[in-house]
Parts: sequence; C-alpha cells; structure tokens
Amino acid sequence: MDQTSDNRLMEEVRDEKVERLAILFERHHIMLYNFFLRLTGNRGISEDLVQDVFFRILKYRKTYRSQSKFTVWMYQIARNTHIDHLRKQKQEVPLEEQFEETESHEVDTVERMVGEVDVELLRKALDKLPIRKREILVLSRYQEMKYKDIAQLFSCSVGTIKAVVHRAIKDLRRIYCQLQGGTP
Amino acid sequence: MNCEKTKEKFADYLVGNLDKKSLAEVQTHLTACPDCRGELESLSAIWTKLGVLPQEQPSSALRQRFYAMLKAYKEGMEEEKTKVFFGQAASRWIERFMPRRPVYQFALSLVLLAVGLGGGYWMSSSRPGVKKEIATLKHEVNDMHGMVAVSLLKQASPSDRLMGVSWSSRISSPSEKILQTLLEALNFDPNVNVRLASVDALYLFYDYPGVKEGLVNALTKQSSPLVQIALINLLVEIRERRAIDALRQLIQNEKLNSRVKKRAELGLAQLS
Repeated sequence: MDQTSDNRLMEEVRDEKVERLAILFERHHIMLYNFFLRLTGNRGISEDLVQDVFFRILKYRKTYRSQSKFTVWMYQIARNTHIDHLRKQKQEVPLEEQFEETESHEVDTVERMVGEVDVELLRKALDKLPIRKREILVLSRYQEMKYKDIAQLFSCSVGTIKAVVHRAIKDLRRIYCQLQGGTP
Repeated sequence: MNCEKTKEKFADYLVGNLDKKSLAEVQTHLTACPDCRGELESLSAIWTKLGVLPQEQPSSALRQRFYAMLKAYKEGMEEEKTKVFFGQAASRWIERFMPRRPVYQFALSLVLLAVGLGGGYWMSSSRPGVKKEIATLKHEVNDMHGMVAVSLLKQASPSDRLMGVSWSSRISSPSEKILQTLLEALNFDPNVNVRLASVDALYLFYDYPGVKEGLVNALTKQSSPLVQIALINLLVEIRERRAIDALRQLIQNEKLNSRVKKRAELGLAQLS
C-alpha cells in the first residue's frame, strides 16, 4: 500500500496528478460516508454527498495549501457540501414536512442487526442536537479527529471545542432520557 | 483542583487524552466530590453508548461513480490541454496571413463573408442529403437520451433516478421501454420525489398508447397524498373519463387523507 502522507498526495493532485486522488478516496471515503450518514440519516444522500466532496476537491485543488492538514481541509469542504445540501433541500421540498414519508425502513434493518432497542432512540436524540453541536460531537466521537484539528476547522479555540463537546454530551443525555420517557 | 477546573478536563477525559498528571488530579478531585463524579459517570455512559451506532459501508456504486468521475475529469483536462495547444498553433498560423493595414483587413473580411454566404447557399441547394442526415442524427440523439434515462432510472440512488426522469422528459418521441420504465417508477419507486417527477414526465406523453391506462391504474396503487393529488390533477386535465371508477374507489378508502378526498370528489364532479 502507498504510504505517502495525505498532505503529500493532495499536493500531487494539486499539481495536476489528479489520479492520485484515488488513494485519498480509498483512505477516507468510508469515514466521510459515515460522517454524512450521522448528519443526514439517509444512505443515498450520504453517498451523493461523498461524491460531491471528492468532485469539489478536484475542482478546488488549486486552493489547497500544504501547511494545512488534508483532513481538516477535506472536512471543511464536507461541511460546506452538507450546508449547501440543507439549503437546497429547504427550497425543493417544502411539502415533505406536511406529508410524512421518511425512509425509516432503512433504519429498521440496521436496528435489527444490532439487536438493541437503544439504537433508534440514540439516533433520534442525536438528530435533535443543533447542527453545530452535532457536527463537533460526530467529528470527535466517530471521526477520531483531535480537538486541535476540530478547532482549526471551526476557526475557534481548543477550549471552546472542549466546552461544546461537554455541553453536547450533556444535552444528548437529557434528550435521550426525555425520549425514553424518563427523567434525566 | 476545583470543580470548574475538573469539568474543563472532562472532554479530554472522554477521548482518553489526559496525561498521567492531569488524570491523577482529576481522580483525586472525583474521590472527594460526588457531584463531579456523578456528572462524569453519566457523561461517560452516554459517550460509551454512542459506540453502539455501527460504522456502515457504502454501496459499491459509490466507488464506481467516483472512478467514473475521476476518469471523466482527467479526460476533460487533457482535452482542455490539446485545445489550448491547437488554439495557440492555429492563431499563430492565421496571424502570418493577416494583412497589417486596416483597409486590407476590412476587404479580406468582406471576401470571407461573401465566400461563406455563397458556400452556405450552395450546400443547402445542391445537397438535399444533408437534411436527411440531420434527421437521422436527431433520431440517434433521441435514442441516446432514452438509453441514458432508462439506465439512470435503474440506479440505487434516488437522485440518479430523479435525473433519469428529467432526462426522459427531453425525449421527443419516447420508446415503449421508456414509457414502461416511467410507469414502473410511478408505481414502485420507494422515493416519493421520484414518483412525483414521473407523473410530470408522463404528462408530456399521455397521448402515447398505454400511458392513460397506466395513469388510471396507478391512482389506486399510490399511498402518498402528494402523488395522489398530482395524479388526480393530471387525469382531470386530460379529461380521462376512465378515471371515474378509480376515483370512486379511492374515495371509499377510509384511510384516505382528507385533502386528497376533497380533491378526488372535486375531480369526480369535473369529469362526470
């Protein structure tokens, strides 16, 4: 396997060796897919968004600066892609909310596989967190991203990120308990 | 260490990011402070619970789409390069023949204009075959749109299928296969947006054999109020009297959405 660092590979992509993007895709697409899956809860949309992120990486490859960490830059693009998706969704399907028809059957199968009643509840609780808190929590809990890198991604101090993680977990616990019908 | 300082360390504690010294400090405080201990325990519990949500694998289509995109992008880049290269070479070549004085430049452009007009006239009058060729080409493009539409409609991702529907509406004379695929999408696609788009696309083709019947049959099969309303609107607009029975059947359904029911009753009155 190619051991070249992410940053080096991205520099090569920037300098017109676009085929090197394939290695970056293989390294990161599953993480990225799960990042979107936890934000959107929809498999099809998450795949579309991953594709969109890699397309944007190609399109904006000239703007990549070697001193910034590749994953931070990639998640920056991922966040923008997600925000654009939310905007588009708001414009396109305002009626959706009036008539419910979600793709909840997809979730059921996963739940059955895990065999835990908690899963769906936990997912719902996560969905109810405000988007910024959810992003930061997902990045730190699932994407194995360091607080330092998340701080760079959100352009704020490490202390702020730690405080947000603390609060997000607290909120999540409260929402989770409410959904369970119990007291926090 | 006081409570405030300890709580600041909780986020690091959760990800296992504390060095030995800080960890010892936190633990000393926790043994003395039941409040902080309780809070950290409940935070850790939910943090661990989050681990239950499994990491999932995307479908193989994602990888295929990525490599197709990368290949197309590379080809596009190379094309761009050759275009620039040929463009520069051609402009240099033309430059050599360009007269320097404006008067000659003007004269040359007049001559070229005359040659162009004459040539065009000659081509259109002496070669009737051209029109036929264009017609064949148009037909081929039409067929290609159809092929793309059908293959997009069979994709796993709803956004691809939506694109398939929009491709199919660009076709001037759809084949039986496209109409069939669109009707299938209307009846069986799990995504409501795709079904709605199919109704719109089929509206363009309602004159083709089998389409009206397909639309009437679809009415009783739909469960989404949005699609039901769209279908009723369409059937009323094309004044399809065969829809009357289906509408009556729909109204009798007790579970029917109240707005759909109203629209169906109105539709029935408009048609009969």
